Amino acid sequence: MLARLRFLILGLWLGCLASADLHAATSVVIVSSESNAAYTETAQALVEELERSGISRSEVLLLRASEWPLGRAPAARLYVTLGAEAAGRLARSELAAPLLCALLPRSSFERVLQQSGRKASPLVSAIVLDQPMSRQLELIRIALPTVRRIGVLWGAQMAAEAPALKAQALSHGLQLTEAAVAEEEPVFPALRQVLEASDLLLAIPNPQVYNSASIQNILLTSFRARVPMLAFSAAYARAGALLSLQATPSQIGLQAGAMARAVLHGKALPEAPVYSNDFEITVNDHVARSLGLKLDAQSLHKRLRQREGEP
Amino acid sequence: MRNRILLAAMMPVTLIVLLLVAVFLQTRLGDNAQSHGQRSRSLARQLAAACEYGVFSANESNLRSIAVAALREPDLRSVVILSADGAVLVRAGVPGYAMPARVGTRERLDQDAGKDSDLYLQPIMAGQLHVDDLFAPAVAEAARPAQYLGHVLLEVSKSRLLERERELIALGVALGLAGLLIGGMLALRLGQRVIDPMARVASMIRRIRGGDFSTRTEVLPDDPLRELQRGLNQMAESLESSREELEQRVARATLALREKKEEAETATLAKSRFLAAASHDLRQPTHALGMFVARLRQLKHDAETRQLIDNLELALQAMRDLLDGLLDISRLDAGSVLVQLQVFPLEDILEKLRLELGMTASGKGLRLRIRPSAAWVLSDPTLIHRILLNLIGNALRYCENGGVVVGCRSFGAGELVRIEVWDSGIGIAPEHQQAIFREFFQVGNLERDRGQGLGLGLNIVQRTAHLLGHRLQLCSLPGVGSRFSIEVPAAAAGAASERRGPSRAESFDADLSGVTVQVIEDDALARLGVVSLLSSWGARVVEADRLSTALRSVQLGLVPDVVVSDCRLPDGENGIEVVRQLRLAAGREIPACLISGDTDADLLLAAKQAGLTLLHKPVRPAKLRNLIRRLATQAQAVREDLT
Repeated sequence: MLARLRFLILGLWLGCLASADLHAATSVVIVSSESNAAYTETAQALVEELERSGISRSEVLLLRASEWPLGRAPAARLYVTLGAEAAGRLARSELAAPLLCALLPRSSFERVLQQSGRKASPLVSAIVLDQPMSRQLELIRIALPTVRRIGVLWGAQMAAEAPALKAQALSHGLQLTEAAVAEEEPVFPALRQVLEASDLLLAIPNPQVYNSASIQNILLTSFRARVPMLAFSAAYARAGALLSLQATPSQIGLQAGAMARAVLHGKALPEAPVYSNDFEITVNDHVARSLGLKLDAQSLHKRLRQREGEP
Repeated sequence: MRNRILLAAMMPVTLIVLLLVAVFLQTRLGDNAQSHGQRSRSLARQLAAACEYGVFSANESNLRSIAVAALREPDLRSVVILSADGAVLVRAGVPGYAMPARVGTRERLDQDAGKDSDLYLQPIMAGQLHVDDLFAPAVAEAARPAQYLGHVLLEVSKSRLLERERELIALGVALGLAGLLIGGMLALRLGQRVIDPMARVASMIRRIRGGDFSTRTEVLPDDPLRELQRGLNQMAESLESSREELEQRVARATLALREKKEEAETATLAKSRFLAAASHDLRQPTHALGMFVARLRQLKHDAETRQLIDNLELALQAMRDLLDGLLDISRLDAGSVLVQLQVFPLEDILEKLRLELGMTASGKGLRLRIRPSAAWVLSDPTLIHRILLNLIGNALRYCENGGVVVGCRSFGAGELVRIEVWDSGIGIAPEHQQAIFREFFQVGNLERDRGQGLGLGLNIVQRTAHLLGHRLQLCSLPGVGSRFSIEVPAAAAGAASERRGPSRAESFDADLSGVTVQVIEDDALARLGVVSLLSSWGARVVEADRLSTALRSVQLGLVPDVVVSDCRLPDGENGIEVVRQLRLAAGREIPACLISGDTDADLLLAAKQAGLTLLHKPVRPAKLRNLIRRLATQAQAVREDLT
């Protein structure tokens, strides 16, 4: 509720700016799929970043996905979408400027491209929610150095990623145990299979496997098997995963702002979707204690940054 | 009344107790069933929740331990856990029901699925743990339904519930009975407090109705009917006093009546005494007169004197009739007429009546026809004779022409004989038919013509018939005639009484020459009459006025053949004693007869006991002569015996 109110205030403010300077050309159009806290926070961070680079607010147009006109798109030098729905809508529109998709999983971005018949290019790029596999594996190395085998549950149509992941794991000195969960099949058999030969369960985002209904039992099962879980969202860490690695909305907003500024300054968007530069680590201290581990999110974050090399 | 009051007292108590028991049972049974259901349902839900992970992980041992642990709960008979595809994962306990074909995915209750057991079907749903992550679209997340994992089938026994229900019902019944008992006792006690006074009042009213006005009820201070009882007491009091007053009045009235009655009786007695005295006093001179007239008739006279003597005799005869009637009445009054029932042929009496009344009838120019009868009856012949004599005499008296017919007929299956006296006289008007039986009543004889009698006849007839118990009837039409009838019980013919030959054999003209008659009479006139009459009949008469005189003549050797003595003599002497003395002095049983002016019953009895014939004054000369002659014949026999 509060988030919605904040978004409304922001919208009004931006709207006021636009009406105050009607002749100012719109530089950036931000289209948000939803108006919940994460989207508002992202949009706010994005606008603030643009402001810092000298782009007045009057040059930014903030829209909801439902407000996106079906006919001619408003003219701008860059379109930024937040969420998968907005990305899908804009990808299907005729745009005279590059499109930056943010706040969506890589699988969603790929689906958007597929459905709109586009290809990832400097004209259509994205900042995906997924964390790079290398970062995750590095975090495992830092946080749980004893882990040798990592388990992964693939959802339907995801098994294709397995070879790449396997290779990366091996490069990090880790063994990959994997199992696929077919559609409309219980998770448990695959989960048990994975847990039997894993020291850590690495959660790869996939609503078919990880959802509100299943997460409790997955966490409970892994906990019983004394296999900790590395999750992709702070919510999972709060629900019982040992730790999670994720980008926060403001981090993504900030990064999107930086990329927008670059575009406005004449640079092109990266050809391939990019991962978030910054990240956040959340540790569930209770689970850690239960497993006899001692982890500190701050120091982990710091060490991981150090490994990745300070930007 | 008692029962009705008790019913009225018990009814509300019973209703309230029943109502309370019903409410108690209703609520307690409802609560019991409800709590049982709630407990079972929550057990099923908890079990479903507990089984979630086990079903998710298909961990049968985990599920089994949960199921077995659940079975420790009382009332749980069996637990069956199904997976989402309906396969049985775990079965604990022995299910007493047939596995339902379809379990669905919702909560369900199959009541009475097994014997005394309910089946709770509880779905196991995956628990929702909301994880807010950007990878899953929120919309899709919200729309996703809770995942169905499987089912828990919980069989819950109802035996404990039923047992508890039975206990509750037993308790309810016990409470109801106790309530009824206590309420009933209270109602009885309260009712008793009403009934007792009512019963007291009722019994008091009963006693008052029975006439006991002295009854009082005790008025208690807490009596609900206090006023009523007080009123009843007052009523009884006033009733009692009024009754006493009434009784006193009645007593006074009774006393007055008794005095009146005694006065009347005294008056009647006085009248009877007067009649008796008057008739007695009349008898002496009439007796003497009769003797004189009889003597006078014997003398030679010219035709005119003879006519005079005839008239004198007629007057004398009327006088004698009157005196006879009065004699009969006084004897009936005195109750000295003794009924001597015997069986006799009616013809005896009828024959006698023909003789006695034939002359009278022919003298009046009337026809008297007495039909002969062969009937025998049970009655007193003397009294019957008197009744008929009076009836026929009456009939003849009131007949101017025509005649009188007497007939007998048996009726009533031969048990009764009715003797009827018909006349063709003036008849008796209906309004007089009762009155004619009164003393001295004569229809149409205001001038009291002696020739028509004295009016005593029917009175004597009625009283005599009453004395005999014979029914007397009168049937009469004025101007046509009358019929008097008397009903006499018939008897079988027999030789009960000696048939005497008619006295007609005795010669009226036989004289008494050679017979010495001692006459003892204190009344000089009467003595003179008898003596002169006896002398005229040729008898030698020795007269005496008292016993001593008579004794003297006997001592002088003059022993009479016959003694005729008055009954009442001076100085308290009486005829019976005189006869006895004379017989004693003469040394033989001199035949004797008594003449009396009294109608005393004692005297009659005494004379009978002494074997003496008693003649009543005025004695008819003919009767006297017949008697003397008979006695003289006896004297003759006595004398012959002696010699």
